[in-house]
Amino acid sequence: MKAEWRLLGLLAASAAALVWVVPFAWMAVAALRPGVPADIASLTPAGPLGLRNFNEAWQSGSFPLWYLNTVVVCGGILAVQLVTVTAAGYAFARLTFPGRDVLFALFLLQLLLVPPLLIVPNLATLVSLHLYDTLLGIMAPYFASAFGTFLMRQTFRTIPRDYEEAAMLEGATVPALIRHVLVPLARPGLAAFAIISVTAHWNEFLWPLMAVSSPSSQVLTVGLASFASGAEAGSAWGIVAAGTFLAAGPLLLLFLIFQRRFVASFVFSGIK
Amino acid sequence: MEPITRRAALGAALAIPAAAALGDAAGAAGPTEIELFFPVPVQGNLANKMRELIDRFNGGHSDIKVTAVYTGSYDDTNLKTRAAIKAGKPPAAVIMSANFVREYVINEDVDAFDPLIENAGKTPGAFMDKFWPALKPNAVIGRRIYGIPFQNSTPLLYYNVSAFTEAGLDPDHPPATWAAWIAAAKALTKTAGGQTQRWGLMFPATYDYCGWIGSGLTMSNGGQYFNHDYGGEVFYNAPSTLGALSMLDAMVNRLKVIPPGVSDANACTSAFFAGHTAMMVLSTGSLSFVRENMKIPYRVAFMPRNVRNAAPIGGASLILPKGNSPERQAAAWSLISWLTSPEIAGEWSRFTGYFAPRKAAYDLPEMKEYVQQHPDAKVALDQLEYAVPWFDTYNTVAVRKAMEDQVQAILSGKTTPADAVQTAQKNADELLRPYVEETALKRLV
Repeated sequence: MKAEWRLLGLLAASAAALVWVVPFAWMAVAALRPGVPADIASLTPAGPLGLRNFNEAWQSGSFPLWYLNTVVVCGGILAVQLVTVTAAGYAFARLTFPGRDVLFALFLLQLLLVPPLLIVPNLATLVSLHLYDTLLGIMAPYFASAFGTFLMRQTFRTIPRDYEEAAMLEGATVPALIRHVLVPLARPGLAAFAIISVTAHWNEFLWPLMAVSSPSSQVLTVGLASFASGAEAGSAWGIVAAGTFLAAGPLLLLFLIFQRRFVASFVFSGIK
Repeated sequence: MEPITRRAALGAALAIPAAAALGDAAGAAGPTEIELFFPVPVQGNLANKMRELIDRFNGGHSDIKVTAVYTGSYDDTNLKTRAAIKAGKPPAAVIMSANFVREYVINEDVDAFDPLIENAGKTPGAFMDKFWPALKPNAVIGRRIYGIPFQNSTPLLYYNVSAFTEAGLDPDHPPATWAAWIAAAKALTKTAGGQTQRWGLMFPATYDYCGWIGSGLTMSNGGQYFNHDYGGEVFYNAPSTLGALSMLDAMVNRLKVIPPGVSDANACTSAFFAGHTAMMVLSTGSLSFVRENMKIPYRVAFMPRNVRNAAPIGGASLILPKGNSPERQAAAWSLISWLTSPEIAGEWSRFTGYFAPRKAAYDLPEMKEYVQQHPDAKVALDQLEYAVPWFDTYNTVAVRKAMEDQVQAILSGKTTPADAVQTAQKNADELLRPYVEETALKRLV
């Protein structure tokens, strides 16, 4: 009985994986087929094959610059966020101050806002801070994350207070407490947040498009769109697929490399 | 305990202006620096071509330095331009979808070209006469020029010559009327074992395209679709609109010669290249893309008519966002004059497939040769005689979508044309009401 359930679960997981992998498989196949083949939807790589699409995609834009800018943006956002969400998460989880729950509710309310709603006010703020058309301008609105704060608050709340009390008895100050006791124990939460944050900002299109104009501060998504989008005509699928591969590749690679660590951090968290 | 979070928050806040000093180096002397926002509505290397043009302009104008800023689709460009104006950082010039120009005028977000044209020693009327007359209603609003046409298109009927011959149709006489069109679509549709192997006709019905082609069919059916002179009226429930939608409904749901549901431009071209559809309606802006990728013999024809020949204009015009200094405006005017000159307009037209809005472009020898070599470009040019203005109203996108949602529902078999036109009219009227109450229905006494 148990074995049957296992098999069923395995089948369901394989089916889900298959659905997930089809677009990637197609992207890989299409990227390798130059021109606009008539059976472009095909999943089987029928010749002629070649790397011409990659070459053309690479020539169509300044990929090295776009990579650099995207890494700076994602890394910068994450670095600041890790500090702010840890501090804010701790405050909402452990401190008592008047209006805490109302404030937390307001924080969460922010998750309900549709980002395009804030484009104009955010841009106006950027202009007054002289951040319009800078990479820092792309990053600034994300320095405080409502989702991250929520996640860290929940994570901190699952950690038994005994640890903190023990540390306090040893004379630890609050910053030391956060750094040496809570953050190590909350690592799975931080890792999960890091994945979500980097993926979201790596893939983001609209805000970087709005905040930056100079070609020198362009990020991958906006750069890719400059030769991938075609509203009035069709697209050269092969080049689009190759370009998408170039844009998404590093992220895919990163997760393949760190996959074990991410999973491990979820499983062996040390929190019972 | 409290100060920690407060300090952290302060730290983050302080970091911003400190790093801000690095950006934004305003140069006082030297060339006037301006930026041109441009969308790439058609495929491929157009972004590179645009940058090449701008480099050439900069090379010939030492007092101006233009940066070409790619700004996504027509809608993204609209959004970015609007946000930049509101934030106090207007670009000096934008290539804007021509049907948004009216809204910029209504919102007072653009400056008119008239003073610049007069400064250059010309009269605005004579200046506009250099462009194809059908482009005027989307560019001249309230007797002032707010848009200079740059790249323009009309819908066109593309058809597969082999499929025509195979179905016993004469490729030299493509369908010119709706009756012939429907008959051809029926003859061209090929089914085997309950599966359609080849559709008679496909057209993109995603947002924007859907409204464009829908308005074109209505106009071919004798209608106006919207009031060309006043941004507060649409004729969604008029007989001409109902007739056009009923024809579509019959072709999709009863005759099954058009695939059900909403196809996008990519699906249409892919199907056309693969021979999975024998005809498609697509922009003249796709001429070059189709020419490069279609391996089967094909030709193009006018949009078939029911009551009259008509094809709506599409494409983009150059606009002058409000809030720029006179120096920046003068620099923008130099750029715009250069971009819309017969030589450059012709070059861009040959590269993209768009028709050149400037009539004189077609008098140039290289353009004459091009039109002679490419009969498809000639058809697109000849159809201009029947061109009608593009849909533009107050709150254009939302009002356009009020009808597009209904057309998409018809294509998916979820509503009837009779219900669709009523719902669309009701929703559009609701959206137009604020403007109508400020204008046509304003209480004066």
